[in-house]
Amino acid sequence: MDKNSAALYKKMQTEVEAYQNLQKACVKVVKQRALLESQLSENKCVLDELKLLGAENKVYKLFGPVMVKQDLDESRQNVGKRIDYISKELKNSNDSLETMERDMMKHRETMTKYQQQWQVAAAMK
Amino acid sequence: MASNASNAGKPETVDLVKLSPEQLLQIKQEFEQEMTNIQESLSTLHGCKAKYAGSKEALESFQSNWQDRHILVPLTSSMYVPGRIKDLNNFIIDIGTGYFIEKDLEGSKDYFKRRVDYVQEQIEKIEKIHMQKTRFLNSVMSVLDLKQEAALKLHQQQQQKSEQTA
Repeated sequence: MDKNSAALYKKMQTEVEAYQNLQKACVKVVKQRALLESQLSENKCVLDELKLLGAENKVYKLFGPVMVKQDLDESRQNVGKRIDYISKELKNSNDSLETMERDMMKHRETMTKYQQQWQVAAAMK
Repeated sequence: MASNASNAGKPETVDLVKLSPEQLLQIKQEFEQEMTNIQESLSTLHGCKAKYAGSKEALESFQSNWQDRHILVPLTSSMYVPGRIKDLNNFIIDIGTGYFIEKDLEGSKDYFKRRVDYVQEQIEKIEKIHMQKTRFLNSVMSVLDLKQEAALKLHQQQQQKSEQTA
């Protein structure tokens, strides 16, 4: 009997640990997602602005401390590519967040299951 | 959106009364956390708006007879070098992610005006959400108050009863 409950306790502990680890990873992904979202909106603003420009406007890009003149169409394409890339990353982090939440739910369920088993075992004593 | 919230608010208020004080307290804490976050982003947005508006104002004060006018160019916030305005009609504006664009006076003014309007729009959106959350938080608090009062009354009644029997 005692052996059983010890095994159960161990199982419960691994579940709790897995759950906590997931929670930590979750927080990280949420932070990353917020960063990506802000980058996405910034890039969108830039693209909107670039779309409003005509051939008479010059475009520069800052590389470190140097401003380099850019071709308008090229900059538009570059920003568009960046938006595509960031959107893809955003989708990835959303997906992984979803699977994490599902995993967390599973761990929670097994935790309650073990808890019930524990209580039953305790009542039988 | 407002009608949506009022619709969603009704079943929530019904639920609130059914919740235990512990649950209510948890909701209250969560909401207060959210409110601080909202307040923070609001103040950031207000700061952004002030920055854009400041740039626009600087442009408004530019006059067409300022060609070759002497100015002091700030190198740091406390050190200046003398300079002369050579080109009145070209401004290079930072539009984010490292991109800068060259625009004439009117175009630059227009850019900052649009930016200010855009930020204002975002502020109004967030203020709306803020108001909804405040309302919800208030209803949570009032239900919590009612529950506490009821618990207190129950406690007093029980005390009176025990005193009477004694």
